[in-house]
Parts: sequence; structure tokens; C-alpha cells
Amino acid sequence: MKRSVPFEIFRYAAILAAMAVTLVPILWMVSMAFKPIGEWSATGADLTWWPKQPTLSNFQFVFGHSTNELIVALDHTAVKPILSSLLSAVFGTVIAMSAGTAAAYGLSRFGSGQNLPLALIQLRLFPPMAVMIPVMIMWAFLNLNDTWWGLALIYGIVTLPFAFWLMKTFFDDMPREIEEAALVEGCSRLRVFTRITLPMMRAPLASAALFVFILNWSDYLIALLLTTREWVTIPVYMASLSSSMTGQLYGAKAALGLIAAVPPVIMGIAIQRHLVRGLTFGALKQ
Amino acid sequence: MSAVTATVSEDKMGARTKPAAPDEGARLGFRLTLPAQILVLFISAFPLLMQLYISVTDWSPLSGVGWWNAWEMWNSFANYTDLAADTRFWSALQRTAIVMLVCVPAEFLLGLALATLFADDFPGKRIFYSILLMPMMVVPAVAGYMFFMLFQSGGPVNDILSRIVGTPITIAWLSDPNLSLIAVMVADIWQWTPLMFLILLAGLVGVPEDQMKAATLLGANAWQRFVTIVLPKMKTIIIIALAIRVIENFKIFDTLYIMTGGGPGVATETISVYIYKVTTQDLIWGYVAAIALAILIVLSVVAVYAMKHMAKAREVPA
Repeated sequence: MKRSVPFEIFRYAAILAAMAVTLVPILWMVSMAFKPIGEWSATGADLTWWPKQPTLSNFQFVFGHSTNELIVALDHTAVKPILSSLLSAVFGTVIAMSAGTAAAYGLSRFGSGQNLPLALIQLRLFPPMAVMIPVMIMWAFLNLNDTWWGLALIYGIVTLPFAFWLMKTFFDDMPREIEEAALVEGCSRLRVFTRITLPMMRAPLASAALFVFILNWSDYLIALLLTTREWVTIPVYMASLSSSMTGQLYGAKAALGLIAAVPPVIMGIAIQRHLVRGLTFGALKQ
Repeated sequence: MSAVTATVSEDKMGARTKPAAPDEGARLGFRLTLPAQILVLFISAFPLLMQLYISVTDWSPLSGVGWWNAWEMWNSFANYTDLAADTRFWSALQRTAIVMLVCVPAEFLLGLALATLFADDFPGKRIFYSILLMPMMVVPAVAGYMFFMLFQSGGPVNDILSRIVGTPITIAWLSDPNLSLIAVMVADIWQWTPLMFLILLAGLVGVPEDQMKAATLLGANAWQRFVTIVLPKMKTIIIIALAIRVIENFKIFDTLYIMTGGGPGVATETISVYIYKVTTQDLIWGYVAAIALAILIVLSVVAVYAMKHMAKAREVPA
């Protein structure tokens, strides 16, 4: 449909306003991450919107205990929290994707596990806070507290609904001619699944895995309850970056926040096409 | 027509291959779904029973007895009667409702407005689209930290306001009991409007253009077209988008807790923050179990009702 010129002007003005609101918080953090201490601690009239003397000292600080700019030093660097976030999110994704993909195929092709779609949506419906007491007790009993593998297990279960629903809609959409041809040739059904279906579904599998990874990587509450010291994740570690001597270490926190924010944003843009499907449990496709 | 006949013949072919191995598929299906079933059972059945058991006791991790011996601390149903009289719980619930009633409609209206602007093609659409989606991909805890910085009394939000007004403004957003809830809601709206935009745009694109053209020819203006064609076509999608945000908003924790920790005092204490504090600070887990179960039961009733309603809506042909 052809639109009028005033409408186009209005459209661009509105979009630019929305872009400004969207970007200011993000750019502020980017700016803070590269500011030296004198600038990130400035307030009010001394506030600088963009670093006058950009520096990497905030990154140096979180990775290497200290810098010569700051009198405080860190007991723990950010290396292990980053490792913890990475390991728990990656293996959580592996658990969710393996169980979810297998179950989705079982339901989509053989009608097994009719209870799963609803049971998994219910799992998503409940606030994690409302089931954490038994989980904390069970995890303590199984010696899983404060470990990345304990986190990975709970992440795998929490994101299972998304893995399952995404893969189910992908399997439902997939044409079955090739699978059926292979069956006629005498392949077993398991072989058809592992040798034909899965390789064909490589791209959807990758998108679903990235989607699940973003969700796992984004967790804060579960890690806050299940990790205390050894294997805290990035967001939990970030909160500990304030000392009584310096108050909030804005620069260091911003640097770490940037490190945490970059991977999911890039991945999210990469799988943009499937975001709607993932977020609506496959109810909507783009 | 030919496509339809092709599908039918394939179905016949599929049916012909089945008798060769009658239950091979069923057995494989069972085995494939087993891990997911075990995980679901592991996280629902056992924890629920444990929660039910603990919720009728005074058990806490500091009580010196294992949770299985919690019966020694049986307190009849005191936790549940306490809950009914717990004003902090009820005000947390009320606050959660306020946040939801402000944030979800705001996200919906802003998302819908943006989606209508993106309904047809224009130069730069793709890049604007990608950038506008970014907030929802930012780790919520990091978003919480962003807004924590923005709302400092000497921070950028006040800086912008100062420039507009012309005099220095130092509003203590996060330590003022009346303003902190607003700051928290602004952060939620910033982060989740893109989700509404994304889902509603997907629905908007699906509205058939020929109907719109026909309506235009019949003299309908933009608003009439929107109300009579677009909204009815998007009904299901709107319900899905609202349902997702209501569910997720009810759980609100990460951004809020990092920005204010539920404070000042209890000014931003929502239900998740309240449970978190009772769990980690007061450590009365028997009571927490009772709160959690009460919430689970209410949510389940709502969920069953909503699912029935949606199933009914699906039976009516669109």
C-alpha cells in the first residue's frame, strides 16, 4: 500500500524515538565499561556521556585482580564465573536439546508421550521461586549445590519445554516423504531418525540450541540460590563487585555486564527468524 | 487438488509399511520420550510431595533434623493459617498485581504501535527491526544493572531531566519508596516491549492484504480497518502474547532484585522477592513451602481454566 509523505515522516520520527529509548541504556553501559575511574564515578554536572579517555582498565581489573588505578583488589577474578556460566549453559542446553529433541520426535511421529506438551507448558508456567525449596534440598542431598553440573541439570530441565516445543513444530513441519522412502528401503525407524532426520534438521536444531542457550545463559535466580562461592555465574558474581571502600564498582560491573550481554544479543540476531516460534511455544511461526 | 491426492496416496503407502513392524514405532516412541518423562517426573512429582510434606511442619535447614524427619515438627496447618494473616505476603501479591497491570498493557500498546509502523516495507526496516529487538536479548540481570546505573541520583536519567528543565535535578529514584516501583516498571517495559512487538508484528503480517484493500475501496478509514479486520484476525495472537507476558511478569525477579533488592523497605517487594527473602534470610522453609504450594495451586486452577477456554476458542473455526 502506498503511504503518504506525512505518514512516512511520522513513521521515521516514531522509530527514531524508539531507537533512542532502546539504545541509551545499552550504550550507557558500553560507555561506562570503557571509562577510567574518574569518569565512571562522576555524578551530576561532571557526568560524561562518552569516555573522554577510553581505557581497558575495567576489563583488566575483572580479569587480573587489580589495576594501578584502583586501590582495591579482587579475591576472585571473573574468569571462573565466566567459565561457570559457560559450562552450565552449554551442558544445560545439551540436556534440554537431547531429551527435548528425542521426545519431540517420539510424539510427532509415533504419538508417544501425549501428556508431555501440557506437562511442559505447566512446568514453564510456575515461578521457579515456587519450586526452589525442594530443588535446593534435593540438590544438597545429591551433592549438586555450588557446582556447574548441578546448575546444568536444573537448566536442562527448566528449558526442556522450549527445546521440546521448538523441535516438535520443526518435526511437524518437516515433509515425511524421505523418511518413508527410507523405511520402504528397509531402514529401521531408529536409523531413519539418527541417519536421515537429524542430519536433515541440522539448521533447525542449531537455531533451537542457540535459543535454549540464550535462556540458560540469562538465568540469575537459580544460580543465586544454588551457587554460593566456587561456581557462581556471571550475574551472581557481578553483585559481589561492590566493596565497602569504593562502593559500587560501576566500571568493573559495566565491563562484566558487557561481556555477559554480547553473546546472547549476537545469537539472538542470528536466530531472529525463529524467535517468535520459540517464544510462543510453536503457536506462531514467522 | 493434485497436492491433496498425493498426500492421500502417501498415507496409504505409510499404512502399508506399518504391518511389517506393528509396534516398532510405538516402542521407539516410548524410548525416545522416556528421558523427557523422567526429567518431568523428577522435577514435579517428587518435589511436590516433598513440598506438601514440609509445608505442614516448622522445618528449617537450621533445625538440625533432616527434612525426612520434619514430621517431628508437625504444626497442624499453622503455616497456612499464618499465610492467610500474613500482611507482607498479601501486600507483595498486590504489588505484583500492580506491576502486571501497568507493565503488560504498556508493553502491549507500545508493541502494537511499533508493529503497525513495521507492517509494510520501508527503507531501513531490517536494521531498525534488529536493533529494536535487542533489549529482550540482554541478560535480565544485566538489564537490571543498566537501569540501576541509569536511575542513580547523579546518573543519566536525572542528567537528561536537568537539561530539559534547566536546573539540576537529583531525584533519588531507587531509594524513594514512591518512585522505585516506577523505575522498576520502566526497566520491565524497556526489556519486554520488544517481545510484544515481535509477536504482534508476526500476527499483523498475516492479515490478508486483499481484505484490507476491499475495505479501503468500500470507504473504511484506517481506524475502521484496524478495528473490523485487523483486531479480529489477530485475536488469538493477542491472547497468546498477553498470556506469555502475564505469566512471565508474575515471576518478575531478576531486574527488580538487582535494581532495588525489593526495597527501600518493602516498596518493590513482589511475590518472588518476598519468597526469596523468606527462603534465604528468615530460613523458615516449612512456611516457604506453604506459600509456594498455595501459589502453585492458584496458578494451576488459572491454567486449567485458561487451557479449557483456549481449547474452546480453537473449536470455533476462525
